Amino acid sequence: MPEHGIEGLAAARVWAASKFPYLATGVFGAQVIAEAGSGTVSVDESWRMHADPELTAGWTAAQLGSVLIHHVCHLLRTHGERAQGAGVRPDEAADWIRAADAEINDDLVPAGLDLPGRPVLPRDLGADDGLLAEQYFDGIRRVGPGGFGGVGGDQGFVPPGASRASGGVGADNQARSGPWLDCGSGADGIPRPGQGTGGLPRWQAELLQRQVAQDVMAHAMLPGTVPAGLLRWAEEVLTPKVNWRAVLAAELRRAVAEVSGAVDYSYRRPSRRSAVAGPVVLPALRRPVPEVAVVCDTSGSMTEDLLAMVLAEVEGLLRALGLARQVRVLACDAAVAPVQRVSSARQVELIGGGGTDMGAGIGAAAVLRPRPAVTVVLTDGYTPWPAVAPKGMRVVVGLLGEAAPDAPPWARAVRVSPD
Amino acid sequence: MSAQNPAVEALGVAVAARVPVLLWGAPGTGKTSAIRAMAEAMGLPCETVIASIREPSDFAGLPIVVGGEVRFAPPAWARRLAEAGRGLLFLDELSTAPPAVQAALLRVVLERAVGDLTLPDEVAVVAAANPPEQAADGWDLSAPLANRLCHLAWQTEPRAVADGLVGGWSAPVVPVLPDGWHAEEILSRGLVAAFLHVRPGLACAPPSNAAAAGRGWPSPRTWEMAARLMAAAGAAGTGDEARSALIRGAVGDGAGVEFLAWLVEMDLPDPERVLADPASFRLPERGDRAYAALAAIAAAVAADPTPARWTAGWQVLGLAADTAPDVAAVAARVLAKCRPPDADPPAEIHLFAPVLRDAGLL
Repeated sequence: MPEHGIEGLAAARVWAASKFPYLATGVFGAQVIAEAGSGTVSVDESWRMHADPELTAGWTAAQLGSVLIHHVCHLLRTHGERAQGAGVRPDEAADWIRAADAEINDDLVPAGLDLPGRPVLPRDLGADDGLLAEQYFDGIRRVGPGGFGGVGGDQGFVPPGASRASGGVGADNQARSGPWLDCGSGADGIPRPGQGTGGLPRWQAELLQRQVAQDVMAHAMLPGTVPAGLLRWAEEVLTPKVNWRAVLAAELRRAVAEVSGAVDYSYRRPSRRSAVAGPVVLPALRRPVPEVAVVCDTSGSMTEDLLAMVLAEVEGLLRALGLARQVRVLACDAAVAPVQRVSSARQVELIGGGGTDMGAGIGAAAVLRPRPAVTVVLTDGYTPWPAVAPKGMRVVVGLLGEAAPDAPPWARAVRVSPD
Repeated sequence: MSAQNPAVEALGVAVAARVPVLLWGAPGTGKTSAIRAMAEAMGLPCETVIASIREPSDFAGLPIVVGGEVRFAPPAWARRLAEAGRGLLFLDELSTAPPAVQAALLRVVLERAVGDLTLPDEVAVVAAANPPEQAADGWDLSAPLANRLCHLAWQTEPRAVADGLVGGWSAPVVPVLPDGWHAEEILSRGLVAAFLHVRPGLACAPPSNAAAAGRGWPSPRTWEMAARLMAAAGAAGTGDEARSALIRGAVGDGAGVEFLAWLVEMDLPDPERVLADPASFRLPERGDRAYAALAAIAAAVAADPTPARWTAGWQVLGLAADTAPDVAAVAARVLAKCRPPDADPPAEIHLFAPVLRDAGLL
């Protein structure tokens, strides 16, 4: 392997692979390159670590192994890509890296990670354990960069006084938040000069990430062996959470499309192409604009915030579909409140409480005039449903909350969970 | 070739293999110009048809009465392609086509039939679409239409845009498929078939929600498409990234990634064969694969620790210790724990003692 020139690397890897067997694939998958004079150990997004042999010579196998594990976690949790998503500016990179460090360290340090110096933990940022880097970063942004400067700024992988020639980004931050480890572009997504091309291409990095996630899940069969945060990460990689907004949008578009697509030829008006068809009368394409009604469950078990959020989403989607007229909203528990015509989600009054029967709401929607072709039902699912689908009407059910029971098979269901 | 955007490379392979392909990308990112440039570079006549402003009869054929019977007359663009005998049919704005037009497109995309006319086999079908949430009036593709296309994500590289603005847009490099590349398809079909034996659930898995239905999903048809694209990518010598994009585009991300991961695993040596003949062992070059190979061998020994297998396992580790002492040392710890009672300590053990001592594990 090409990564010679770093003393004790083999022992460090053996330590890491034995202490954290579920991350061994990641540890061996990363390439380590000696980079004299960099004064740090950094990682790039192509799974290459750049280590200063002079710095690592002073570390024990456990310390170097812990830094390897720490950097592998930056890569596994795609901190570089997420930094771009969070809109991290180059001058905020140091804060982002501290947030990312806190996300990694909160459950790996208790599991036996032995980092040189004092690692950043969530409590250094005034936050609870188990959050995401984005959440820690928001906290830092709110308090201001100087807020925790004295506490968490001294990560301490870099001995005081050592040279830190890690490019413009590091030099810029150093003055403000004290000595910090430049974890590299793999942690903050900001390309460093001179790292060139090579390393793992993106799709192979994805496969490697999945492989590690599978290893983590396999080890988790023995309870108590894998930190909970890492297990949560693996579950998310293997079964990614579906964005309910995208699913809801697609279901609504589909419902509206099926209605307008169902009667799209009409002989009421002949086709403009009839001229070429001689005696054959061709039908024209007609696209009726479907009416939409929304039935809201207002029983006591509903959460008002979530309902308002979903309602706003439905309204925005309908507007994007060109159904910009006012939405008719029915509030419903066991009985149905009068129809409210609203132009914004804030105007919906949740009047109900007590028992629930969405059948009553759907029935009330069916007798509205003009008759809605698509009905959106927003409920927590604890309700009886009609046994058969209402005639001539498509129903999209938004199930609010993680534990909502299933919707009936004749409706298209979208699970909505707070994010 | 590798300097090229993988999406362009993948597009070229799909066109050369005559697999219908759909580019997904934001408006204004050069999908249309890339497709036209590709047609020009391949010397193919290109017919652009904007699906969103067409009626179903434009694709199903316009009925005309000839001598008392109704024929479905093809439009002029179809006739031009049929006369040329080859070419590129470019369906633009596919996702803004109303559902009825999408239904009419089904036969065009897969069977190349327009009305009573069948386009020649040499006509490639390429489509472009904006994601429904970005299009002015977007529909999700219907699942049957989505299942007939290989979906490629069109991403723009900021650097390529910067270079293109100054130096002009470079023409895409067209992959050349050597004669007889179809022979490779037999091999790739075999690989797909072997994978589906292991994961029968992925042979056909229609998506459960409408958003996923508009993208690639695994079905017998798309697996066949994936096998064909894999063979074509291999024959054209494209990069791995383009090959990965093509396979995932055909059968969807989930099934595609599982198939690719399985292919990687296939490359690893078979533990039983290695234990039968330790001298034949070659250590994979990449660290994580080396680890996977040695861990599999150590696990195979631990599952059935006879003295002969145990000794063979140590011989393998001894071979690996030169190039990857750390990987071998991790596997050595597994072997050390399953020593059969009547086996002699192996000679190789001294190779690993120093590194294990340094790591504080002895």
